[in-house]
Amino acid sequence: MRVFSLLILLSLMVGSSVSAQKYFTRNGKISFYSDAPIEKIEAHNIQSTSVLDAATGRMEFAVLIKAFQFEKALMQEHFNENYMESSQFPKATFKGEIKDPAQVDFEKDGEYQVIVTGDMTIHGVTKPIEAPGLIKVEGEKITATSEFELIVADYEIKIPAVVRDNIAKTVKVSVELNYQPLKKGS
Amino acid sequence: MKKILLFLLILAVGGGAYGVYMYNKPHKNMQRQGADFELSAAELYSEFENDESAANTKYLDKVLQVTGNIREIIKEDEKVSVILETGNLMGGITCELDGFSEHDFSALNEGDQLSLKGICTGMLLDVVLVRCVIIS
Repeated sequence: MRVFSLLILLSLMVGSSVSAQKYFTRNGKISFYSDAPIEKIEAHNIQSTSVLDAATGRMEFAVLIKAFQFEKALMQEHFNENYMESSQFPKATFKGEIKDPAQVDFEKDGEYQVIVTGDMTIHGVTKPIEAPGLIKVEGEKITATSEFELIVADYEIKIPAVVRDNIAKTVKVSVELNYQPLKKGS
Repeated sequence: MKKILLFLLILAVGGGAYGVYMYNKPHKNMQRQGADFELSAAELYSEFENDESAANTKYLDKVLQVTGNIREIIKEDEKVSVILETGNLMGGITCELDGFSEHDFSALNEGDQLSLKGICTGMLLDVVLVRCVIIS
């Protein structure tokens, strides 16, 4: 993630002259929901980091797998050790962009429906994805929310047959990023 | 024959009970958890900055007791996170307070020195600890 911090530092330097062009958060929320015949499982992470470049529509976020918290300790253990192998693959990342960023006026309050496309890397496997999102502009605050589905098998995450009915094959992911403008010294 | 059936029954009940217990196994009690490592926020950050994969191997899933000055306290919904200064302009140590423990953070102010212990989950921009409890 060195590259990521460098990128942020770089955007910080570039961004300082045209201050409100880049937005940043270090406590974005990412949750996922698995709705299988036997049980419903959900996990939440409130420490995701993201940068959004208003000028180009480029967007990146990263999240630590081990920071997902489950209601049941055993589920969290299985998730990390057996399915996500989070010691080997500690992060999930997304790098992409807003399609047609010109339709979002970051200077004007309002809600904008967007489509985001890019590459999602989970469990060391990178796949292209496309998801609908909503960008809400309120003064300097930008909130980006999205809900989309991921197919577990796409990321080579193996679910043993015994728990096949406990874990959904398609997991719903919800993202809520509360951006602040990136300013020097903040 | 009856004995075998009885034995099987006991085994099944025992196994079932163990299964239920495991299924409902509680999360670690962070108040009672001893720290595997004790270090300053600046030391922890620089270890991750210098060699992230070595730091991951050393610290992931471990309970760390970290001391540093508070850069920022973030309260969102019911969740509270404290960011500790590391001497680095951008990167800090983000400590998400444990949702299963009680905390008294009303007296905390930015700039105060704080010691917390929590589970290390890795580094994004900050090194992130979760399930933190305040020590002093």
